[in-house]
Amino acid sequence: MIVKDAVCPFCGCLCDDIEVEVEGNRVVAVANACELGTTKFMCEERLKGPILRDGDGWKEITYDEAIRYAADTLLSAERPLLYGWSGTHGEAQCVGVHMAELIRGVIDNTSSVCHGPSILAIQEVGHPGCTLGVVKNRADLVIYWGSNPIDAHPRHLSRYTRYADGFFLENAFRDRKVIVVDIRRTQTANIADEFVQIKPGGDYAVLSALRAIVQGKTETIPRTVAGVTREQLVRVANLCKGAKFGAVYFGVGLTMTRGKYKNIRNAIELVSELSRHTKFTISAMRGHYNVYGSNEVNTWMTGYPFGIDFSRGIAFYNPGETTAVDILARKECDAALIVGSDPAAHFPRRCLEHLADIPVIQIDPYPNATTAFCNVQIPVAVTGIDAVGTAYRMDGVPIRTRRVLSTDYPSDEEVLLRMYTLMQGAR
Amino acid sequence: MKVTLAMKPGPRSFIPIEAESIVPKNFLAGTDLAVWRGNRELRLDEVFSVSVEGDADRPEDVEVVLSGDDTFRLKRVGEYMDGGKITVLGDIGMHCGNFMSGGTIEIHGNADGWLGREMTGGTILCRGDVADYCASGYRGGRKGMKGGSVEVFGRAGDFLAESIAGGTVTVHGDAGDMAGAEMHGGTLIVHGDCRRPAANMKTGSCYVYGTAQGMLPTFAKNGTVQHEGRTLIHFTGDIANRGKGNLFVKGYKYLD
Repeated sequence: MIVKDAVCPFCGCLCDDIEVEVEGNRVVAVANACELGTTKFMCEERLKGPILRDGDGWKEITYDEAIRYAADTLLSAERPLLYGWSGTHGEAQCVGVHMAELIRGVIDNTSSVCHGPSILAIQEVGHPGCTLGVVKNRADLVIYWGSNPIDAHPRHLSRYTRYADGFFLENAFRDRKVIVVDIRRTQTANIADEFVQIKPGGDYAVLSALRAIVQGKTETIPRTVAGVTREQLVRVANLCKGAKFGAVYFGVGLTMTRGKYKNIRNAIELVSELSRHTKFTISAMRGHYNVYGSNEVNTWMTGYPFGIDFSRGIAFYNPGETTAVDILARKECDAALIVGSDPAAHFPRRCLEHLADIPVIQIDPYPNATTAFCNVQIPVAVTGIDAVGTAYRMDGVPIRTRRVLSTDYPSDEEVLLRMYTLMQGAR
Repeated sequence: MKVTLAMKPGPRSFIPIEAESIVPKNFLAGTDLAVWRGNRELRLDEVFSVSVEGDADRPEDVEVVLSGDDTFRLKRVGEYMDGGKITVLGDIGMHCGNFMSGGTIEIHGNADGWLGREMTGGTILCRGDVADYCASGYRGGRKGMKGGSVEVFGRAGDFLAESIAGGTVTVHGDAGDMAGAEMHGGTLIVHGDCRRPAANMKTGSCYVYGTAQGMLPTFAKNGTVQHEGRTLIHFTGDIANRGKGNLFVKGYKYLD
């Protein structure tokens, strides 16, 4: 059987034109997806059932036992941390927020270690963004800044920018200019019309210089800024001002380098400056397939996009204080629930040392680095493969994922709802 | 009146204690106050040994002294303080002196992040180092500190006096990255070095008596000035933000 128009649950592109061939309840072939998406669809290394740490080993337990353990552990905690959420669907994320409020914990998602700074900047100066479709059909200039889509979002270029013909661009490859700004010559830089190589940590200075040049204040700018010549900066500024429609896409190369959200704020203010001359937009290259959804769900339910502390019964938000890395590094939580994420693969050692000291429950289909730190792992269905659910594309468009397999695994939402029901009974 | 709050020794824990009730004026009505450890509400005397000497009719006559090994766990001490004095005989946690409008807070150790956030008046003295966002604003806020003074005798972290709109911040040691970012009023003085001072500033005055590392390219040089016996280079900017602020530095180095 071939399932058409499946949605790829890997990156923020949420490609919705995937064809999945299924035989005997196994995925045997995937068409249209990139290598990353294909690997996720074909992965079969999943846990068979819940496991509980037992001395140096593991023992199998039932879903009921695992869910009871999780509910009891989180209920007894003084400051439980509920982290992850970008690898699951919006319906499960809703239950997570309700749960955090009930047990008065802290709920945070992976954006605190990827595009959280983008959100902080947007809170300061707004977001002149647009959907991917608008860029595909209108943009004659695209800038990738601190982002390498060939490796991280492989179909972004073919579906929306470099190779995607649009309504107003009959030959995108010829008519659309691509500028890449990065600290090293990446694969994406190799297919760009202009490559701007910045010294590490120099993004903010280059953005400030471009803003000044766009305003006509070139004479103040030194001969080189963070390794970029003034001549190249002027050329880039002129390319931007001469475009009919420009789009900036930035990645963690900008959000997670020195200055963090100030880099993004500066990029947004550059786009605002350019919009005095032409039409320009800016958007984030979101990583996990539903990290945007987690921000959406959190915001409509609590007013804040991530790092929400319910300790006092009301939502309090302060990234740097109420975000997972900071809480773990400071040893400020006494239990953790990890959902659809793998912090052990990404967090600093200091955080993992505390994770090893407290009870940890993980809800995830696959064994991963965090498995080594958890007391209980509860395997679930994979959204977009054997569970349906809503995810938000990197441009904020909600897309309903499809089920391509039928398995006995419960979805994240089902497991979390059972846990939440137990907690409600206890409270 | 002198109120002494000595933290009781207990099992080693790092869960923060939110103690916005520790403000001099609250003790005029007694010590029946509450603090929060994580999601648990506790009476003040469950966390501290409380002793009171003398009495007072107004906040200005109340001094609160905090001591113990774990004072670094206390957050929001002195929030909305409008008079009196708080002395911390050790380190203090985040958000000490949030929104304070009067009185004095003296910290003998180090202060964690957001010391004096959005304060409008009063004085904060920190004998040790301060972490990030000292005298800054809140996330997404347009104004940080609007009045009063903060003096730090050690070093400061990143985003010192971010969005400062009034008052004076003085750091006797070095400061971190982005000191005075989005500044639009007030005065910031860093006796040591710092990185990328006054980024995106609109107005206000920023003095760096050491070297401004990673100096931003969008400040226009205006010669030198004499300032308290020092010769400083005068810049105006941030021109990227159409700013007309004043940045004075002893030395500077571009990331070229």
